[in-house]
Amino acid sequence: MGQQVLNAIFIGSIYALFAVGYTLVFGVLDILNLAHSAVFMLGAAVTYSLVVNYNQSFVVACVGGVAACVVMGLVIEYVCLRPLRRRRAPPIAALISTIGLALIIVAAVEQGRPGSLFAWLWVDGANSVRFPPDIVPDPTWRVGGLTLEAVKVAIVPVSLVLMLVLGYLIRYTQFGRGLRAVAENSRAASLMGIDVDRMILLTVVLSSALGGIAGILFGLALSDISPYIGRDNVEIRGLAVIVLGGMGSIPGAVAGGYLLGLIEVLALVLFGSNVRTGVAFAALFLMLVLRPQGIFGAQLHERV
Amino acid sequence: MKRERVILGLLAALVLTACGTTSSSGGTSYQGKTIKLGALLSITGAGGVYGPQSRDGMLLAVDQINGSGGVNGAQISLEVRDDASDKAQSAQQAQTMIQQDQLMALLGPTLSNSAVAVHPLAENLKTPILAVSTTGIHIVPDCNYPSATPCKYVFRDSLGEQTAIPDNIKSYSEDKHPSTGVLLVAQDDKFSSDGGKIVQDTVGQYNINLLKVIKFSKTEADLSPYVTQAVQLKPDVIFITSLGGIPAKIMIEARKQGWTGQFLGGNGFNTSTVSKQAGSAGMGARSASAWYIGNTFVSNADFVSAYRQKYGKDPDQFAAQGYTAIKIIADAASRAGLTFSDLPGDRDKLRAAMETVNIDTPLGPFQFTSNHDVKQTVWIIQMDGSGGFTLVHEIKPTT
Repeated sequence: MGQQVLNAIFIGSIYALFAVGYTLVFGVLDILNLAHSAVFMLGAAVTYSLVVNYNQSFVVACVGGVAACVVMGLVIEYVCLRPLRRRRAPPIAALISTIGLALIIVAAVEQGRPGSLFAWLWVDGANSVRFPPDIVPDPTWRVGGLTLEAVKVAIVPVSLVLMLVLGYLIRYTQFGRGLRAVAENSRAASLMGIDVDRMILLTVVLSSALGGIAGILFGLALSDISPYIGRDNVEIRGLAVIVLGGMGSIPGAVAGGYLLGLIEVLALVLFGSNVRTGVAFAALFLMLVLRPQGIFGAQLHERV
Repeated sequence: MKRERVILGLLAALVLTACGTTSSSGGTSYQGKTIKLGALLSITGAGGVYGPQSRDGMLLAVDQINGSGGVNGAQISLEVRDDASDKAQSAQQAQTMIQQDQLMALLGPTLSNSAVAVHPLAENLKTPILAVSTTGIHIVPDCNYPSATPCKYVFRDSLGEQTAIPDNIKSYSEDKHPSTGVLLVAQDDKFSSDGGKIVQDTVGQYNINLLKVIKFSKTEADLSPYVTQAVQLKPDVIFITSLGGIPAKIMIEARKQGWTGQFLGGNGFNTSTVSKQAGSAGMGARSASAWYIGNTFVSNADFVSAYRQKYGKDPDQFAAQGYTAIKIIADAASRAGLTFSDLPGDRDKLRAAMETVNIDTPLGPFQFTSNHDVKQTVWIIQMDGSGGFTLVHEIKPTT
């Protein structure tokens, strides 16, 4: 059981970091950015390519991977969101345009094979690959029957620090105040002299950078990088996490991430492996029925 | 008009037979004709791990055959389509290839999951189809399962899990006599769940007590909770019947958690991609393979060197099976006495000729069983920890 709780904490950290990016955009724009899962994958894929195909150090590669996600954040805003906002399109339009972008990003990576158009980006096609094992020191400790793997242990503080920094940014800085003002009422914020477009751009870029970091950590901890890592299961879990935590709430996303990790593990231990996902989503359903606003949903001032 | 065409066709055939060359295999001359084949493969999606190699193997064989005078003078054209690992798309594309593109025979599809839709369709439209990588159960001869009527037009040159998994378990049991095992199986994929069922049906024969069957989804992001469950039972063997990156992820995680037992698997292990991803964690993981790269008999050595020359990398089992598939069809076509004017008739002649194929291939000497399944030597291989495989045993086919 102890090992399973550890497993829950490790994966919970990644869920949380992924969901924070999701919820950040939702809090400000009231739309779901469904390209987030593709950005998550892109962060891992670009970092992997820089390490393996361009022989860069891991640190340089991570910077490159996150930079690629930042660029993708710009694309999301300038191509998928802003033109629709200008035309006052309904939120569903933005949802569809981000799904479209996600499909394009995944397809581009998937097509990447030696000699293909996207070979500069990725050469492993649909294959699942992993970072070279010695890329970061990864000792494994055994403490009281538990296995502690350095990379996974490190994910927890890395995620928590990133989320705390984000929390600080939003609560105590000029940028954060602007962001919260836009989230509360973008028209009023605009009348107060806040550049709403700039705030939204910064939000999307920040969210994409966090998504990219989550992707890199995922690739490192789970030894799995492929065009599908975002789409297959992380995306739907990310949605579950923000519903559990409360749509648009950052502390909610963090709590939701760990909670979902724990529920899944408990379901596995108590009811067996084939109902794990079912039980997790039954819990989600219960939450929607009993407390639709999520764990932190009622505290509106906590909204980004 | 129709009669004129037939007469013209006959005249042309006569002229060609009179002055055309006859191929080395001695069949009717097909000079100036084209044998149109179609490959329906998963180039993208989950099966994208296997489909591209199948395609590359096929294209190599097509190049070689066309470059050395074709099949009795006829060139082979190969139309490759990607079904994106999707069953519905696969069936739709197969129908287009058979009815609209009027292809003589099809190869594929990559995944057993898609084959259950495509094979009955080809059978129904009386078009020979040769499976090159589908290893699940109910592929041949009962493609219309649960109906037990044998399908006449469906063949397979890939080693079924029904042969591969029991052979592998038997061989390991004879070597090491394991007494306990745990099965990790992706339950939402036909290939994986079929493999799991075969493991469960087989272990009893070798006195292996299956402590637990741990099921998960093939799209599961994090497999560590399942691996923890398996490792805590301290089994001698962990059986993995899953696709794509899953076997490697399980191996890496289990080794990290300190488990030192034996991994046994199926066809899902048999690609260098999986061996490479597993790295040192995969060292010694055993599976039964239809093909082994290190075999030095001529038909394999030639294939391996030609593949390396064309693509600059090593082939894998899927490339070898794709390559073999084209050789099988070419051999059958050379003996079939095709007319190139009566497509249904030609499809039927090709089907009949395929039943009597007996050639040397990279897989070894190759024939079909009466059920249209593969009859070949099985190679027990193990991962070498650095992306390759080494040969452990060789199991000859039972006659």
